[in-house]
Order: sequence, then C-alpha cells, then structure tokens
Amino acid sequence: MSSAFARLLATLRPDLVRFAFWLARDRAVAEDVVQETLIRAWKSREEIKDPAATRPWLLTIVRREHARLYERKRLPTVDLADVEAQGDPALLASDTSESDAGLDDLRRAIMQLPDEYREPLVMQVLGGLTTAEIGKELGLTQAAVLTRLFRARNRLREIYGLAAAEDVE
Amino acid sequence: MSGAFDCKHARLAIGGEPQVLSAEVAQHVATCAACAKFRDETLAMEGRLKAALELPLHRFRGAPEPVRVAPRRFALAASVVLALFVGGGAWLFRPQSALAAELVEHVKDEPGSWQGHEPVTPEALAAVLAKAGVRYDTRFPVTYASPCPFRGHIVPHLVVQTDRGPLTVMVLAHVKSETQGEFTEGAYRGIVLPAGAGSIAVLARDGQDFDSDLAAVLEGVR
Repeated sequence: MSSAFARLLATLRPDLVRFAFWLARDRAVAEDVVQETLIRAWKSREEIKDPAATRPWLLTIVRREHARLYERKRLPTVDLADVEAQGDPALLASDTSESDAGLDDLRRAIMQLPDEYREPLVMQVLGGLTTAEIGKELGLTQAAVLTRLFRARNRLREIYGLAAAEDVE
Repeated sequence: MSGAFDCKHARLAIGGEPQVLSAEVAQHVATCAACAKFRDETLAMEGRLKAALELPLHRFRGAPEPVRVAPRRFALAASVVLALFVGGGAWLFRPQSALAAELVEHVKDEPGSWQGHEPVTPEALAAVLAKAGVRYDTRFPVTYASPCPFRGHIVPHLVVQTDRGPLTVMVLAHVKSETQGEFTEGAYRGIVLPAGAGSIAVLARDGQDFDSDLAAVLEGVR
C-alpha cells in the first residue's frame, strides 16, 4: 500500500504543483503548499480506499493548505507588476517546444483574474472538478459557481479578440 | 434566440461548463446561430485554456531535481557575528519591535513545533534548509523543521533541543538587520542577530535561559 501510494503521489505531484501555482501565483509558495499537502496526504493515506479518489482528494488538500497559509500567516499578496517584471518563466517566453506568444498572453490574463474567478476556473479546467464539487468545496451554490466560471471565461475572451457575452445577474 | 431558454441563459451555461451540453442548451444552439458561434468559440478557447494552465514544469522549476537550490547563502557565519557580538559585552541595540512581534506571532501560530522529541531526518532538514540556501550543522537534535512563509519568503523554522529545553531558530536570509538585540514579548524571549545579508532569530519561552546555549546553537549556521 505504502509504496504504491508513494508512486501515485509522485505521479500526481506535477498536477498539484500547477494547481497550487495558479492559486498562489507564486512558485515558492506553490512548492511549499504541495510539500505540506504530500506530508498530510501521507499521514492520512489509510483514509483513501479508492485510488481514483486520490487526485480530487489531494487537490482539496492543496486548496485548503493554500487557504490556511494565507489565513494564518497573512502572506503578502502577489504584486502582478512584480511578477511580470521578473519575467517568470512559468508565464512568459515559452521555450522552443512551446513557442506561443498567445499562450503567454493567456497565462498573463489568467493571472490577472480575480481570485473568485480564477480559483473555480482552475479547479474545473485543471482539477477536473464538476461545478457541484467546486460549489461544495467553495461553499457556493452550483448556480454561483456557474456564474463565476462564465465571468472568468468572458474576461478571457477578450484576449482572443472575441466579443464578451452579456453579463448575468 | 428561440424559446423560453434565451441566449443569456444559454451563454451562461456554455461559459460555465463548455464541455457539458444539456438538452436545453443543445436545443437552443440548434436554432440560434449566434449562440452556436459562441459555443464553438468557447470550445476552441477551452483547449488553449487547458494548455495555458498546464505550465511547463521543466521551466517552472528550473531543474528536475526535487529540491530547489536557493540563490542566497550567508556570507558570514553566525558564529563569527556572535563572537563579535559577545565580545562587545552587552546587548547594545534592540531589534525593531515589529520584527519581534512577527517572530513571536509566528511561533505562537505553530505551538506544536515545541512539542517534538524525535529528531527530524537529515533529509527532511536538508530539504528545509536548501529552500533558504543555508546549512545548519548543529550538535543539538533538531526536532522541528518547517519551511515557513515569513515576510513574503520561505524561511527555515527550526526547533533544537538543548539541555535546558527547546529553542526556536529562524534563519531570515532576507531580513536585513544592521544591529542585534534582545526582545521579550509575553512569555517569549528572543534575540535577532545580523548574519551576512540577513539575520538569525532565536526564541525561547516561559523564561527559559538561552544565553549559555546561544553560541552552540548558532555555530552550526553557515
């Protein structure tokens, strides 16, 4: 069980780091959150009966660890100007295997989404969670989650030169 | 636009869950060219969105090894600073009260850090120290080692066990301190020492004396 679980954690780690990064918008914090997540997951590994449930379970821990970090440590918020000025390679100037300025622009745009829009978007697209699962995790109704996801994508449409849809109440 | 399910609701559903096509939305887009176009555009964007979120981690981390190597290293061993300091004979300055308060708040926030009795593994300690670009070879058992956020950076938060009890050691490579000094905040007593471009903080609680152990605690920091 332990060695299989360790291999599973190692396999899922890249996704967890990406997920944490988009929540925190900071590489060091993301890695710290994931490290803490893996420690907690390891300690609680007996709770997992279905391996298929491991990924959403880990993503939930990442999100909560990230929230806990900010709530308890009052971590300074990220200054987007600083992030862009630093030319973070995670966001900018893709290498030759991924030379795509449009993708970089999109990453910048995602970075600039308000937390309330970016978080459910990342949970859905990267985490693969349903709107019901996101709502449960964020303490929102499914309708509220749907609205936030719609608004997130609506803002990103502008990056593509697409007309934004009329907002919903 | 067609039927009771109007364009506004169709676009909300499409924008909220592009991959889900409910019967109502399907019926609507079948008769509404504008919403069909909106859905096609959204689905096309969805692939790009997923690609954007899936960051290239080989660039993200800079290297494939599991532990990041931080760029900073203390230029001056703490023991040297301590020798200069003790040679002065007295605590000449007081650290900024804000820093003292933050340090105390931080250790109060992790009360479990004082409770450990089993030494952490050398690998775990090394991983925590590597994040701050420092080494710590103490003769005391380290019973707690955590990479903690402090003033916007990740710093090693350590607890070492001396004969008199546990002491917290925080290596603040990014907190520049021109002076050194002692502080008392409630049940906590501590000291901040300049070291290289940063500083080191040592804290005790409940009146525990750390003066006699200070040199030994700090001599391992490089």
